Amino acid sequence: MSDGPSSEHSIEVSHLAKAFGTFKAVDDVSFHVEKGEIFGYLGANGAGKSTTIRMLCGLLKPTSGTALVAGFDIAKNPEGVKRSIGYMSQKFSLYLDLTVEQNLEFFGGIYGAGGKELRMRIDRALDEVSMQELRTTLTGALPGGLRQRLALASSLLHRPSIVFLDEPTAGVDPSSRRDFWKLIRHLSQSGTTVFVTTHYMDEAEYCARIGMMVAGKLVALDTPAELKRTLVPGRTIRIEGDLVASAVPSLRAHAGVIGAETFGAGLHVRIDPARMKDDQVAALCTAAGARVTLSERVDPTLEDVFIAAADAGAP
Amino acid sequence: MFSSARRIIAMAKKEVLHVQRDPRSLYLALGMPVVLVILFGYGVSFDMDHLPLAVMDDDRTPASREIVQHLYASGEFERVDAGGLAPDEAHRLFEQRIALAVLVIPRGFEEHLTRGEPQQLQLLVDGLESNTATQIMGKADAVVRQSVARTLAARGGGLAQPYDVSVNAWFNPASRSALFLVPGLVAFVLALVCVMLTALTLAREFERGSMAQLFVTPVSTGEIMIGKLLPYFALGAVAVLLVLAAGTWIFDVPMRGDPIALAVAASLFLLGMLGQGLVISIVTKNQMVATQVATMTSMLPTLLLSGFLFPIENMPLALRVLSNVIPARYFIHALRGILLRGNGFAEIRGDLLALSIFAAVVLGIGALRFKRELT
Repeated sequence: MSDGPSSEHSIEVSHLAKAFGTFKAVDDVSFHVEKGEIFGYLGANGAGKSTTIRMLCGLLKPTSGTALVAGFDIAKNPEGVKRSIGYMSQKFSLYLDLTVEQNLEFFGGIYGAGGKELRMRIDRALDEVSMQELRTTLTGALPGGLRQRLALASSLLHRPSIVFLDEPTAGVDPSSRRDFWKLIRHLSQSGTTVFVTTHYMDEAEYCARIGMMVAGKLVALDTPAELKRTLVPGRTIRIEGDLVASAVPSLRAHAGVIGAETFGAGLHVRIDPARMKDDQVAALCTAAGARVTLSERVDPTLEDVFIAAADAGAP
Repeated sequence: MFSSARRIIAMAKKEVLHVQRDPRSLYLALGMPVVLVILFGYGVSFDMDHLPLAVMDDDRTPASREIVQHLYASGEFERVDAGGLAPDEAHRLFEQRIALAVLVIPRGFEEHLTRGEPQQLQLLVDGLESNTATQIMGKADAVVRQSVARTLAARGGGLAQPYDVSVNAWFNPASRSALFLVPGLVAFVLALVCVMLTALTLAREFERGSMAQLFVTPVSTGEIMIGKLLPYFALGAVAVLLVLAAGTWIFDVPMRGDPIALAVAASLFLLGMLGQGLVISIVTKNQMVATQVATMTSMLPTLLLSGFLFPIENMPLALRVLSNVIPARYFIHALRGILLRGNGFAEIRGDLLALSIFAAVVLGIGALRFKRELT
């Protein structure tokens, strides 16, 4: 799709940094995104996710470093970038006082489409997000999930090769989130690169690769499976029961325990299988005064990865 | 080029949809001007009649009664009973606002008149309302002179008045203040409405976050500005016509000059005002602040410094200098020239130049300050 100079990667970022005064919002970040890949960009609020996206979309000038998006240099040719990307911000930014169709007509027109061509694109976009019957509905009357789908549709009208989705599912109910991710996977299958930020770790599992931001730095970057293997070494044991949280200090004191964190109502305890047996964990907890009702081996989740990465990235 | 036109049209069309969806801006643009013209046209008038005037006639002769009768018959003055007024009673009349003026005709007035001796009448005026006082003095003076002349003529014209001033108010023979006010009103109303319309429109996009969305599309800031200006320019043009029509029908304001010159002057003024609104919007990025700044920067200067109500020539130097950068000043001048004096392009060249400069400067500032970047 890209009419820019060819490059192997859809997005190529090297040593990108953005400082606001003395605050380093994004600090020397480098990565690349493959064509058609779903790239997840994770991090706590204020970790620098939105700032990175805004730089990649040409909304903010980087303090230093370079980035190529769809083959265009974001600092030298932001217009080229803008023609080839779609962007959906975390704040809903379509016009609430316009109907679904009027919003799409406007954004189509803004990308220079008109007449029959625009009609066709609107038709297709509405089909893709299954909103044909809502054409003449006022956008303000749509529930959150549908608004997000409409925002996605409008950012795809000009057939961009890359879409940037900045927390697209924030504040949307779980079933709408699932539907939305179906759309995202569909996009990626048809060759569009998807760069997405999210809070939800379950959503991050859908990403082909994940970058993790902590305090402006990219602290981890890999596939979800590989991140779990490298960042959460050892074996993860899930403990449930009464007063298990009080056992954390004595668990951490044990030589065979790599880490112990409260996780939901229970604990996730990572052990070194060479130095400790699975059932020793429950025994330690009991010794610390807890009543253990469950002790089982579990696969680490991305949340474990995130906690591990945040620890690793903390100064 | 082609897609640029498409982007501008898309922008303008969207703006029209906003206005349709929320007709309040339509009321603001079209309803308010007409209402203001009617309110101002009837309410603000410098024409005064039925001014309360008391006469202390100490002479009580046919000649003095002639003057009194003339004064009240003219319709300019309302009779206030002075009774057997003692000279210091005038003070009480003013204090209680019973009369705004007292005319004292001294004893022996007729006698002196018949003998052809110089004669003095005394006119006491409440000077607090200076504009009213000036009018009373002028009117009373005219009536008395006329009356005395008539009395003298009736007695065989022994002594005619040494001179005769014939006043002839050109362009406005009846001295109606509506003729003077309506052109100023047009400027006032347009300034207020146009600055407000555009001040809100961009600030709203910044506030709602849709501006960020626009910034990641290929639409340029220039295209956004033109797309926003077009519909409001059309709205402003309709408002001009409405206000002028109201002026013509209700207040008989004539149209003596070149309508094309008027269209050009109005267009330039509109552009300047809409541009001023855009600049406010771009700088404040906030609807509430924009509203306040828009009101302050459009209403006050147009009301006070443009010559709409107060003659620029009478202002202190600092204000006179300041009035040079108030576009309404030039528009009002041009409008009065075209409507009342029958002017065309030749006479209002300077005004058109000033209006062009203002429009170019504000639109230039807008274009420079309007960056497709977030901070």
